[in-house]
Amino acid sequence: MTDCIIETKQLTKSFKGQPALRGLDLQVPRGSVYGFLGRNGAGKTTTIKTLMGLLRADAGVARLFGVAVDAADRAIEIRRRIGFVTEDKELYPYMTVEEMIRFTRSFFPKWRDDLAERYLKLFDLPPRKKIPDLSKGMRSKLMLLLAIARDAELLILDEPTDGLDPAATEDVLRELMAIAASSGTTMFFSSHQLSEVDLIADHIGIIDRGKMIVAGALDDMKAHYQRLQVVLADSGQLPARWADGVESVRQEGRVVSILASRNVDEIVEQARSVPGAKVERFPVTLKEIFLEHVRSN
Amino acid sequence: MLWYKGWLETRWKLLFVLAFYTAVFIIGANTPPPAAESKVAALMGLARLSTMIVMFACVMMAGTGITTQPSFVVTKGLHGSTLFTLSLPVSRFRLLTARTSLGWLEMAGVVGSVCGLWFTLPLMKAVVAPLDMFRYAITLVACGSVFYCASVLLGAFLEEVWRIWGSMMVVGALWLLCSKTPVPASLNIFRAMAEGSPLLAHSMPWVAMGFSLGLGAILLFAALKVAEMREY
Repeated sequence: MTDCIIETKQLTKSFKGQPALRGLDLQVPRGSVYGFLGRNGAGKTTTIKTLMGLLRADAGVARLFGVAVDAADRAIEIRRRIGFVTEDKELYPYMTVEEMIRFTRSFFPKWRDDLAERYLKLFDLPPRKKIPDLSKGMRSKLMLLLAIARDAELLILDEPTDGLDPAATEDVLRELMAIAASSGTTMFFSSHQLSEVDLIADHIGIIDRGKMIVAGALDDMKAHYQRLQVVLADSGQLPARWADGVESVRQEGRVVSILASRNVDEIVEQARSVPGAKVERFPVTLKEIFLEHVRSN
Repeated sequence: MLWYKGWLETRWKLLFVLAFYTAVFIIGANTPPPAAESKVAALMGLARLSTMIVMFACVMMAGTGITTQPSFVVTKGLHGSTLFTLSLPVSRFRLLTARTSLGWLEMAGVVGSVCGLWFTLPLMKAVVAPLDMFRYAITLVACGSVFYCASVLLGAFLEEVWRIWGSMMVVGALWLLCSKTPVPASLNIFRAMAEGSPLLAHSMPWVAMGFSLGLGAILLFAALKVAEMREY
């Protein structure tokens, strides 16, 4: 048994000479809710499509459940263990909701009728309505139902709340949290909505320009990262070199804002050594961590 | 369920082809009977019309079962439901073969209707033997298969609208090739469906049928390879 359900090593992919993934290293622990963050065009969907076997990597390795995604003889078995919500939320326009459920059900021996029934009611999905007559929010919820009811070990969700109104987003996130808490299903979801990642993820990875720039447990990250606000005296001078762990330093007049990712105590001492300086520590939000890394990359 | 999906995808196209054919049949049924000496010409006309209908059916019914929606009806991206289909635990081989088999059977069904309905006309009953009409239906299905498979191959890398246009261009190009170059008569698929058909020649054009089925198999194999290799 592998500890990582998803693992990539030096994954590389280009489109017409334009690199989309540049040696991506990714590890998603079993049972985690992994938020895969990045700006538009950072490589999130390319990564997901490569994991799903829709794209072939130029170099590197991608594994799901410890099996290489390009192992053709295992591809069907792997897909039977995955629930996938696509970025575009497109389903068959010639089917109704109940036909979509019946169709999908036929491919999954572990299909849970009870879950399908439950989410049909919970999401208020009209069984006899055709797919084109559903709103985008409804289609997202139906896709989620189709992914969850197959009793998958891994849910791969590409922007699951993209295009949803706040109420629908709330519904979907609440259910995702409930699934993660009750079934131990591993969830890997991409998003650029930091607030929702902050709400449900326990691990995050930030991808930028095809490379993983930060990854780890969200709680650890929040514990290690701190923002220091230093108010300098009139004649105060900042140190020429900061201790290890300073990610950024911004100064506006006498107020200096420092983002530290480790060695916070040492950095605080260093700031306090400036004559007349007052130092305060603040917790850091995921948004601050994200923006700092993406901007500095 | 893949067959069911295929049926839902193709049922309106099938209805359209059958409606088109019914309209042609009604016009044909109300045409005054030709003079006795022009019965060969009437059969020739019937054979050419049937050929056109079969080719139309081939182009309309072909598909891969992977890319099923033209991009202009897709609300986001270019894929439609393709990504959902490919995320199912089904091989691309199975997706393509299920859809291709269904479309081919529907095409054969159209041919059966075409030949069956023509045979209800008293004029046709008078000039065509039932066995010849049956042989003609088999000839049309066998010779139409190459056009059907060419359309499947195009569908493996083109979206629906371009597949249909591309298929019509392929049919036109093959017709030009057969009519303007010295293709051996026994290999000429168009001839096998018209003047060389069992309706007029009273024998099966085995060579052309074999050539069409063989070439169709090669095109289908190529479509499978394209579908397996393609990225989405």
